[in-house]
Amino acid sequence: MLSWLTRTARSSIGRKAVVALTGLALIGFLVVHLAGNMTFFADSDGATFDAYADTIGNNPLLPLAEIGLVVLFLVHMGLAVRLTLENKKARSKGYMVSKAHGGRTPGSRTMIFTGVIVLLFVILHLAHFRLQKGDDVSMASLVRFELSRPLGAGAYVVGLLALGLHLSHGFQSSLQTLGLNHPKYTPLVKVLGYGLAGLLTVGFLLFPLTIFFGGNS
Amino acid sequence: MSAQAHPESINVKLHLWRQAGPEDPGSFEKVELKDISTHMSFLEMIDVANEQILEGGGVAVCFDHDCREGICGMCSMVINGQVHGPEPGVTTCQLHMRSFADGDEIYVEPFRASGFPIVRDLVVDRSALDKIVMAGGYISVNTGSPQDANSMLVPKDKADLAMDAAACIGCGACVAACPNAAAMLFTGAKVSQLALLPQGQPERASRVLGMVDTMDSLGFGNCTNEYECMAACPKEIDVSNIARMNREYLRSSIGSAEGV
Repeated sequence: MLSWLTRTARSSIGRKAVVALTGLALIGFLVVHLAGNMTFFADSDGATFDAYADTIGNNPLLPLAEIGLVVLFLVHMGLAVRLTLENKKARSKGYMVSKAHGGRTPGSRTMIFTGVIVLLFVILHLAHFRLQKGDDVSMASLVRFELSRPLGAGAYVVGLLALGLHLSHGFQSSLQTLGLNHPKYTPLVKVLGYGLAGLLTVGFLLFPLTIFFGGNS
Repeated sequence: MSAQAHPESINVKLHLWRQAGPEDPGSFEKVELKDISTHMSFLEMIDVANEQILEGGGVAVCFDHDCREGICGMCSMVINGQVHGPEPGVTTCQLHMRSFADGDEIYVEPFRASGFPIVRDLVVDRSALDKIVMAGGYISVNTGSPQDANSMLVPKDKADLAMDAAACIGCGACVAACPNAAAMLFTGAKVSQLALLPQGQPERASRVLGMVDTMDSLGFGNCTNEYECMAACPKEIDVSNIARMNREYLRSSIGSAEGV
């Protein structure tokens, strides 16, 4: 009955489309995440940010949203790794001399590596702010504590730069994979992709940088 | 080429990939060539190298070539790491020695992809591309007298796009240049040239499903939208054809009754 669906889901284009869709959904999450986090800068004592964190934490639907995010992340990663392994197999013996023709970008070359760095970063991030947070600790003070340490701030800078590089290719690539290529819009999508990657990276970088260098104390 | 002065002849150090058969590990053979005319094509230079190898008692290097005017798609070499050499929009046969400088070291390798097994030296088996076309890259028209030319209208912009896609000569440079050895630019061009035209509509859904499934089964990689293919393509086929194939595949597999 659903053989057409399994055929599509197993095909190269079907799997690529799922990677693209889950990637776009995760970008959507990042935009909301950054917008919410910006409440951190609303006041000096972090009361607005704490109220925001509490609102999310007290929402009964939170576990459902978290499961959804984890599924998105696992599907995106799992398929991307499978596709990458297939791609390696498709050229089992590489060129002795290799020179790009000019299509590849630093972002496109490093997708799997930046992806792994982002995964490690997300694990660290969850360990910091999701798993270790007790009810009596203010989220704002926890953020300040973790990001004022050199190791903490350094890890966030590395993780966020990897995320930016990943998105510099990921956004435009996902639209092409979904077949959204148009002579009028594709050049704009490219600019938008770089803009979005830059904006999200700089936006999130504000946290480790301002906290570590003491601008927000 | 600009009015920039080129020497009439150059000396080059050629490193030719030699591989006795599909399972042989292979290695480079060094051939030093003197006084190579810069007006020669790259293939003519290989001809000269072969004569020199034969005169020295060696075995000539095998390489694919046919029309030597850029339309047959037979020549298939990777020159200093670049498919069809350093000039954009040309096949190896249209690459001239004026693109190289005196004393250059030139490494020549075969196309490398699991979908294109090496037969010998620089010759690879590209029949996988034929298999993709055989899976639907045609229209089924019973013979009969031709209809009036104006009875089937084709918008100019669609005709242009179909013609651009149909410029593909099936040389396989896209596969060879792709970091993932994917055949999606080739398949995208072959799907597009028919999907854009009225004659291609009756088999539109079954065509793309058959061609993509066959492409997937032949050991090619998956496109990661790096566009090395477009930069290497001697006919400069646009990657919008890959997006069109993706669209066609998704609308056919999910949005049509085909393959239920």
